[in-house]
Amino acid sequence: MIDLLAAIPIAAVICLVLFTALDIFWKLPKQGGVSGADVIGKELEKNGGDLNGGWMIGNIISSPDASAGTLLAACGYYVWGIWGAVISIVLVYIGARICADKGFAGTSGAVCAALIIWALTSFAGFPPESFIAGCVIAIFLVEGISTRHATRLLGKIWRKVS
Amino acid sequence: MTDLILILAIFLALFGGIAALLVRSAFDKLICLGILTAGVVLFLVEKGYLDVAIVVSLLMPVGTIFILLLLGKKQEAAK
Amino acid sequence: MIVEGICVVIAAYCAIRAVFEPKTLKKLPYLNVMNFAVAGAIVLLMPYPITICAAIAYFIGSTLESNAIASTFARLEEQ
Repeated sequence: MIDLLAAIPIAAVICLVLFTALDIFWKLPKQGGVSGADVIGKELEKNGGDLNGGWMIGNIISSPDASAGTLLAACGYYVWGIWGAVISIVLVYIGARICADKGFAGTSGAVCAALIIWALTSFAGFPPESFIAGCVIAIFLVEGISTRHATRLLGKIWRKVS
Repeated sequence: MTDLILILAIFLALFGGIAALLVRSAFDKLICLGILTAGVVLFLVEKGYLDVAIVVSLLMPVGTIFILLLLGKKQEAAK
Repeated sequence: MIVEGICVVIAAYCAIRAVFEPKTLKKLPYLNVMNFAVAGAIVLLMPYPITICAAIAYFIGSTLESNAIASTFARLEEQ
C-alpha cells in the first residue's frame, strides 16, 4: 500500500504521459478537429505559442479526448472498481458521439487508463483516488499555468515524433 | 471533507454570478455563467439530487447554445 | 482529504484566472481545467455509481459549451 502523498505525483506523471501519447497517436496536433479547436489554436499561436501545440490544446478543450477519458475512467474506478471503469468507458463513447466527434481518442483514453489503473491498484497498491488528483494536476500543468510554454513544448514533441 | 467542496461550491456560485454582472462582453458573461453552473451542480450533488444534476448539466449548455444563436441574429440584424 | 483539497484549490485558482483574463478565447483553457476539477469533485463528494453518470454528463456538457462559445466567437468576431 503506497502512501497517498507519494502516489499522487507518480499518478500525475503517468496520466500526463498517457494522454499526451494517445493524443499524438490520434494526430490531434495535426489540425484543429472541430471548429472551436481551430480557433483556439490560432489564438494561442497569436500570443507567442506554437500552432500545433495550440491545436492540441484546442482539441483537449473542445472535444472529449484522451484526457477526458483518463479522468472519467479514474472516477469510475474509484467509485465501483472495474465495473465503474466499464460504465465510464461506455458513457464516454456515447458522450463523444453526442459531441459529434468521429474519432476514438476519448474511448481509447478511457480504455487504456482503466487498464493501467487496474494494474497499478491491484499489483502496486496505489489508492484509486490518487489517479483522480493526478489527472487534474496533469491537466493543470498542460493548460492552467502558461499555455504559451505548454504549446511550444507540445509542438516540439509533435515535430520530433511525426 | 465534504465541507471543503461545499465551500468551493459557494465560492464558485458567488464569484461566477457577480462576475457575470460586472464583465462587459456577452461571451465573457456566458463563460461566467458556466462558472456559476459548476457551483450549482456541486450544490445539487451534495444534497443527493443526482438526477436533477444530470438534467441541469445537460440543459445549461443547450441554453448557452440558444443564446449564442440569438447573438448571431442580433449582429446580423444590426447590419 | 488531500485529493479533495487538490481539486478545490485548482478549481478556485482557475476560476479566478478565467475571470481576470482579458482576452475571451484565452479564458477557455482555464475554464476547461476548472471543469476537470469540478468533475473530480462531484465524484469525490458522493461515491455512488450514478454519480459517475452525473460527472460524465457535466463534463460532456461543459465540453459542448466551450466548443459552442469558441466557434461562435470566431464566426461573429471575424465580421
